[in-house]
Amino acid sequence: MAETVLMKGNEALAEAAILAGCRHYFGYPITPQTEIGAYLAKRMPQVGGVFLQAESEIAAIHMVYGASCAGKRAMTSSSSPGISLKSEGLSYLAGSDLPAFVVNVQRAGPGLGGIQPAQADYFQATRGGGHGDFRNIVLAPASVQEMADLTIRGFDLADRYNMTAMILSDGTIGQMMEQVVLESATPTEYEKPWALTGTRCEREKNVITSLYLAPAELEQKNLSRFERYQIVQRVEATHEAYCMEDADICVVAYGISARVSKNAVAAARAKGIRAGLIRPITLWPFPTEALKQAAGSVKHFLSVEMSMGQMIQDIELAIRCTRPVSLVSRVGGIIPTPEQVLLAIEHANKGEAV
Amino acid sequence: MAKLTIEAENCKGCGLCVDACPQKILRIDPEAINHKGHSPAQMTDESRCSGCGSCAIMCPDCAISLER
Repeated sequence: MAETVLMKGNEALAEAAILAGCRHYFGYPITPQTEIGAYLAKRMPQVGGVFLQAESEIAAIHMVYGASCAGKRAMTSSSSPGISLKSEGLSYLAGSDLPAFVVNVQRAGPGLGGIQPAQADYFQATRGGGHGDFRNIVLAPASVQEMADLTIRGFDLADRYNMTAMILSDGTIGQMMEQVVLESATPTEYEKPWALTGTRCEREKNVITSLYLAPAELEQKNLSRFERYQIVQRVEATHEAYCMEDADICVVAYGISARVSKNAVAAARAKGIRAGLIRPITLWPFPTEALKQAAGSVKHFLSVEMSMGQMIQDIELAIRCTRPVSLVSRVGGIIPTPEQVLLAIEHANKGEAV
Repeated sequence: MAKLTIEAENCKGCGLCVDACPQKILRIDPEAINHKGHSPAQMTDESRCSGCGSCAIMCPDCAISLER
């Protein structure tokens, strides 16, 4: 039985990366995720791994590309403006069908924005975040424990589907101290016959590229990539349902917003309002089926997010706009309060405007 | 007489110490900024500190130390 320890979200994530068998970290400091790099600078040499502070975010993501080409588990982490810089690399990783693990501990934007928590990079993360047709698997932790657990799952998913798995966290979960249990397990080893490991003149050379000048070949690449994405959508969508059995009002929220919303739902229940919460754990693939099913009995959906209405579009798509969906949000680095969410639940329950 | 030291570089400005202080003599200093960009906690009136240590115990980042 592993020991329960008190850790900061960023550090729990970093330690989990080591447990997941990652021995290659490339990054560049930025608040509020600097502790990931700082922790791994200390830990990587102890486990025979590589910590490298790159000259820029762009360099770091391409170092991940290189390590991944060699068949190694590699990661980079940043916060919102840094992820924008990495978007070129995300596109190249996707175009080359390489596994990678990328962390975004979101801060408020756009531009340099601020250093306080936000969830404004939802579109960027769930739609791929770079040019070309591609997706990333996006995991949204709502606790320090999940920062660790979803990191281990993320490395596994990246290797299983040869794509980028991204943790979409926020400044609160990253900076928060909470108890966490770090279970050591042997990471699953994946066959990587495509990796650039040297032919020793014993096999044909492998080529990893995202350049396909012949349109027919490139179309085929895109089609087979999306067949893989369809499997991910069918198999990997994950969510948590809370008080949803008889819910009239369904709050949908992820990350720190879900923590706030859970309190609001409990308070609403105490007032006799049949409220429930669906918390997407994977943002891509989005838990569409769970929402579609909920729309059968739920009267009103609320999207609680620290952005100006991004996830709300996926909710409306999932339920094909068959029920009203209202936005409850704070932005700019401010976290919504349980009181704000409860008030919205009460309005929705009375059929009033939220 | 208790002496409180706040390591501003280790402070993330979460404000838990401000809530924990029974004397209400701590605040987040909006004028100050550390290397990570956080505004750290600040002692406003040392003469009223009872030395209870609530702030130091509450601080999740061990940024506060107390001598008494």
